[in-house]
Amino acid sequence: MVTNVTNFSRSGLYDWMAQRVSAVVLAAYFLFLLGYLVASPGLTFAEWHALFSHNAMRIFSLLALVSLSVHAWVGMWTISTDYLTPMAFGKSATVVRFLFQAACGIAMFAYFVWGVQILWGV
Amino acid sequence: MLLVALGKSLASEEGFEQVKGYLASPLVKLVTWGLLSALLYHLVAGVRHLIMDMGIGETLQGGTLGSKIVIAVSVVLILLAGVWIW
Repeated sequence: MVTNVTNFSRSGLYDWMAQRVSAVVLAAYFLFLLGYLVASPGLTFAEWHALFSHNAMRIFSLLALVSLSVHAWVGMWTISTDYLTPMAFGKSATVVRFLFQAACGIAMFAYFVWGVQILWGV
Repeated sequence: MLLVALGKSLASEEGFEQVKGYLASPLVKLVTWGLLSALLYHLVAGVRHLIMDMGIGETLQGGTLGSKIVIAVSVVLILLAGVWIW
């Protein structure tokens, strides 16, 4: 089994599955929101607020937010382990990759907390 | 940026109108179109990935055809998104 200390689930297969499950959730959420916006041209604040106050929508939004973090992490991990390698950076590759992944992790965590604050604030 | 817009538009009536006002500016429209285009292409290419995971179009020929379909579908969707935004 291929393991790596910095990947999401320490198993390539789980990462693979997480990437796909989160992708389907995100696709559903994106298409729903896009469809909603296309279908309601004269959207008012009351309608918009009511949409995000609905319990089902709260669950859906939170699920999409978690999926976004997972999806982004697996994606950025894949890119960083593919390209930020000793072949490209020599001896400093591990440091460069670690810093890049740390920055990605902090960004995703910040987006997640921020998103939760917005959804909770409604 | 999307979170700023979402947060502002949900926080208050004035915030909602403010975001609506921003979205009327040509520059913001262009940026929105850019974001939407990237997302649509990512979505279409991702769906192709899932289809290939199911074992469809995994040959060299199928791969070439699939990538052409992805680009064609994305172009259509991106143009439609542009029409919708403007």
